Amino acid sequence: MKKFVRTYLPFMANEFKRQLAYKGAFYLFIFISLFGSFISYYLWMAIYGSSKSGVIGGLNQQEMVVYIFMVYVTTSVVMVSVSNWVSDDVVKGTVAMNLIKPIDYRISLISMAMGRAVYQFLAPSIFIWIGVEVYKAVALGQPMVSVTTVIIYLCSCMMSFFIYTLFDFCFGMIAFFTTYIFGLRMAKEALLSFLTGQLIPISLFPAAVQRVFEYLPFSSMVYTPVMIYLEKYTGQELAFVLLRQAVWVVILYALGSLIWHKVTRRLVVLGG
Amino acid sequence: MKKIKRYLRLYRVFSSQFFKTIMQSKVDFLMGLLGFFLTQLSGIAFLYLVFEQIPDLKGWSLEQLMFIYGFAQIPRGIDHLFTDNIWMIAWRWVINGDFDKYMLRPMNIFFQVIAEKLQPDALGELLVGSILVILSVSKGIVIVDAWHILLFIVSIFAGALIYTSIKLFFASLAFWIKISGPFLQVAYEMADFAKYPTEIYNKAIRFLVTWVIPFAFVAYLPASFFLKETVSAGVILIECVIAVVFWCIAYAVFNKGTHSYESAGN
Repeated sequence: MKKFVRTYLPFMANEFKRQLAYKGAFYLFIFISLFGSFISYYLWMAIYGSSKSGVIGGLNQQEMVVYIFMVYVTTSVVMVSVSNWVSDDVVKGTVAMNLIKPIDYRISLISMAMGRAVYQFLAPSIFIWIGVEVYKAVALGQPMVSVTTVIIYLCSCMMSFFIYTLFDFCFGMIAFFTTYIFGLRMAKEALLSFLTGQLIPISLFPAAVQRVFEYLPFSSMVYTPVMIYLEKYTGQELAFVLLRQAVWVVILYALGSLIWHKVTRRLVVLGG
Repeated sequence: MKKIKRYLRLYRVFSSQFFKTIMQSKVDFLMGLLGFFLTQLSGIAFLYLVFEQIPDLKGWSLEQLMFIYGFAQIPRGIDHLFTDNIWMIAWRWVINGDFDKYMLRPMNIFFQVIAEKLQPDALGELLVGSILVILSVSKGIVIVDAWHILLFIVSIFAGALIYTSIKLFFASLAFWIKISGPFLQVAYEMADFAKYPTEIYNKAIRFLVTWVIPFAFVAYLPASFFLKETVSAGVILIECVIAVVFWCIAYAVFNKGTHSYESAGN
């Protein structure tokens, strides 16, 4: 265990430091990614203004505001794309080096992703999170979120992080078959923004579609932790969604191992 | 006249080179198309789901919003198809000195930049945009007469020119600050605000997307002219004026930038 940490901790620390080096560009990107949240904020305000009932998809207006911004906080911690690194490594051929080294390529990638997740959590997610709580307390006069909920939320986020990175690793394996992964990545992002509940709460989908989503790993990536934060799950249901996340971590881990095993057998790297 | 002929011929030569690369990698082309197509589609699906809950949004129906959404994609797609290389100035060419080659050839520099690449991914946007506009027309919610058709064509090209100008302006900053990509990205993403009626935003954002980075004049405002008899054609006129003014500014900045460009050296 100690050796494991000593081997992979530097990957995490390095990625964290690298992020620190490019602060300027990073802050601008935060600014851009907040655009989306503000557009949805105003859209939803208009939607609630036009709606007769105050509750849409099981959420009232205040909960929707929390939903929008907690989605931002959650995605910036959970959705760290490892497939970009995989495709870079494959295109440049450096993946060969990673095969020679006595480390597990996938774990090293996930460690890097963790470094970035920690960084993104500190800047800016935690400030937006505090902002959400201040908004709740000052503008709405609601009590702050309870400590238990925060702890369960963070545990759920942790599992979401593994579900996403393990899934994205599998996705990244496509890079072994084509060099232009950009288009597919856009397609992936478009689909995921839907399936994970990033764009719109899953409770707004027709019942039949929701049932299909139950059997896919995507709602466990974003929707589950955010709904936990909103305290929409209690008792047995809460235990069930957490268990479902854990099961997806295991399944995607196994799937990734299988694909990796198959892919590296047919890998050809030219030059050296 | 002779000059125009020469440039047209050159454009043909440049773009035929480009078509060869597309033919070579058909799968990449299809995947790029799929990516942009799905991205646009997710925006539409969002509107669909939301309108399950409400009858209208600030007086706009689902059909009208779909038209605005689709209309917004067409100028964006045209600009994306023809001038995608501008992004490279902002991110790469100035900082690593690749811009040198454009300075050496006896041709207009801006022409060389855009002639070198056609971006087929843009067809995804054009496809979604055209489908939505055609659907809207077939539903009869769009005003169709000779005057409106003429202004429709004028409007999408003026809109595309606004896009190009904003891109060129922010990319040209790279000549002084070396990498202007992040700034360009911020400006470009502002366009997302204008896919919806700007009435839903607060005053500050509305002012910003209408007059500072005028994407409202590319999408929502002209689109409303085609939907409502009460909106005057003045909207299109202002759009054209903005397009010309922004283009002149952007092109002047670009020209000035090429003069102060210094290569990276080696």
